[in-house]
Amino acid sequence: MDFDFTDDQEMLRDTVRKWVEKSYDFEKRRSIVKAGGFSREAWKGLADLGITGLAVPEAHGGMGFGAVDAMVIMEELGRGLVLEPFAAVSLVATHLLATSKAPEAAQRLEGIATGKDLVVLAQEERHSRYRLDAIETKAEKDGDAWRVTGRKIAVPAGAGASAFIVSAKNGGSLGLFLVAQGASRLEVKPYPTQDGAAAADLVLAGAIATELHPAGDARAALELAVDIGIAALCAEAVGAMDKLVALTVEYMNTRKQFGVPIATFQALRHRMADVKMQLELARSMSYFATLKLGEPAPARRRALSQAKVQLGQSMRFVGQQCIQLHGGIGVTDEYAASHYFKRLTVIELTFGDTLFHLGEVSARMQETAGVFA
Amino acid sequence: MDLNFTPDEQAFREQIRAWVKANLPKEISDKVRNSIRLSRDDMQRWAKILGKNGWLGWGWPKEFGGPGWNAVQKHLFEEETALAGAPRVVPFGPVMVAPVIMAFGSPEQQRRFLPGIASGEVWWSQGYSEPGSGSDLASLKTRAERRGDFYIVNGQKTWTTLGQYGDWIFCLVRTSNEGKPQTGISFLLIDMKSPGITVRPIITMDGEHEVNEVFFDNVEVPADQLIGEENKGWTYAKHLLAHERTNIADVNRAKRELERVKRIAKAEGVYDDLRFRDEIARLEVDVVALEMMVLRVLSAEKSGKQSLDVAGLLKIRGSEIQQRYTELMMLAAGPSAVPLIKEAMEAGWQAEHADAGAFVAPLAATYFNMRKTTIYGGSNEVQRNIVAQTVLGS
Repeated sequence: MDFDFTDDQEMLRDTVRKWVEKSYDFEKRRSIVKAGGFSREAWKGLADLGITGLAVPEAHGGMGFGAVDAMVIMEELGRGLVLEPFAAVSLVATHLLATSKAPEAAQRLEGIATGKDLVVLAQEERHSRYRLDAIETKAEKDGDAWRVTGRKIAVPAGAGASAFIVSAKNGGSLGLFLVAQGASRLEVKPYPTQDGAAAADLVLAGAIATELHPAGDARAALELAVDIGIAALCAEAVGAMDKLVALTVEYMNTRKQFGVPIATFQALRHRMADVKMQLELARSMSYFATLKLGEPAPARRRALSQAKVQLGQSMRFVGQQCIQLHGGIGVTDEYAASHYFKRLTVIELTFGDTLFHLGEVSARMQETAGVFA
Repeated sequence: MDLNFTPDEQAFREQIRAWVKANLPKEISDKVRNSIRLSRDDMQRWAKILGKNGWLGWGWPKEFGGPGWNAVQKHLFEEETALAGAPRVVPFGPVMVAPVIMAFGSPEQQRRFLPGIASGEVWWSQGYSEPGSGSDLASLKTRAERRGDFYIVNGQKTWTTLGQYGDWIFCLVRTSNEGKPQTGISFLLIDMKSPGITVRPIITMDGEHEVNEVFFDNVEVPADQLIGEENKGWTYAKHLLAHERTNIADVNRAKRELERVKRIAKAEGVYDDLRFRDEIARLEVDVVALEMMVLRVLSAEKSGKQSLDVAGLLKIRGSEIQQRYTELMMLAAGPSAVPLIKEAMEAGWQAEHADAGAFVAPLAATYFNMRKTTIYGGSNEVQRNIVAQTVLGS
């Protein structure tokens, strides 16, 4: 039992933090939001750090690094409110590509490592509500290829992606299919998201696809990919909350009302103590999420749902209270706090919200409980 | 980073588990598992079993006869005893006063008092709170005046947990009214059989006699029972508070009681009611998160690499969870928790009425009892003050 980071991990954190400070300050971010929420230049910056290929196996030009390294990076990207879809591409999609036997997967992995390729998962549908198999998109065999028909929503990167991993059903079973950007009969409808990032809906009308994971192993691969995504979001949220709390502490110590800093008022001090509680519970469960990724599926899924419940509660409390503690300045677009709040809100709505995962915890409950249950 | 305990730690856990299995009397663990009242004899019996093995002072260093365990080993010991249904060790002797005697007592005091604490022979009580001094403990008024080789003690302590069984009591007493209130306090060890001491019960809302008032009327205390220097008692008491770290969260007991919540919910037919089950699920998440926070503290202590100042958070969260599981147990019993049965916490009555669901009879009383957890040991509001000070930097 050991929650220290290695020297290498501390160096990795330092590298990413310095990059954020130098190349991704709040004004830079604002300009990226204005330009659609995705910066090719920023993505190249991440690729130059070598981290777009963090989880890509070394045989395909990546670093083959593990879950804790990913957590460290996500905390720092969260702290900087980085819009580019690192988790979606370099963790979630990379896992699905790295576990695929399709020849095209290897080529895409190399592209991810160099920063040329952005492959993302297109899983959510208008009525699927986080349930991985409650989807209507269909896949049909067409000679050597497949044709995929359906609609996907809230696909990260959207127009900036080079390919999509689309979940679809063939008969009753779930498969995962790779659809390239620009494929015929694929319409990408881009839009900005509430937190300023780029996303899109996909309209697939028999779009040509290659099979990445056949029915049979797709479900398990997708579940693990989503769990990797949940752990990444938990870490991102911890970084974002850390920074938001720091901003709030600074504000409380400088803002004066009734002739004194508002940090002197006990009502506000106790609120801050409650915020700190939620932040530390969230950090604890973010570690838990990452460290449970290697467990067998039932224990892993339960743990990741437990983590997302805690994070959901913490993000909402910390987000709402930090806005409240700022008063009027907290609700403005000009000041950073509101942007952290919006990102935390969108994280809750990604890969399952608090109630969804509470239902999962409830359904998976066993007689014993605890970190090692 | 690694979530798992090392092979050595695992082996240590197995060793403790086997020992507890072989040595914890079943009559006692049955009582603990069913909220049956523990007698003084029950508590003493378990204390002496531990004492005989050198484990009643499980947090003690080797030089004072303890096992010299590190933070993780202490945690594993606490976890294994709690999960097995062992009673909570009455902390006033081995956990609270002993570390003060070790750190600030004279060699003579150490020789005189530590063996009786380690063996479980001598029952200690705590004399801190007073009727006028709760959260503002430093305002305490119980006076100790030096006269020759004695201190003459006058005043009143209150909320003295299990003081009715106490052989000795360690007290914070006022020896000076000069300067700040904190600087006039001394730390005295007092024999509870001394003439002039009266112990009166306080009956709490669950009908139990757990806490007491202790009156001091011209009690003569030999001066060699002063710990350290006169007027330095506040410093020693703070050392004691700092000594209580992860134990304060009581997460191991919470894990055991969460299992019990599930058993009761099943027996009462609400486990499959999704609204009720979701409440248990929320508690389960809370317990896992608390345990992770405890493990983070242990890891930080073990490596010494990162400091983690979350003792206040552990106290707040741990106490809230203790209240919550007793609340859920009572809610699971529903109307069956309503009848007031005075014998409900007696082993004999429970055995006689086992078929009639006797196990739910004490649940309301347990819920009432646990309201204390957010009040004692520094109320949760005081803890929030401390947390806020750390976070806000002033």
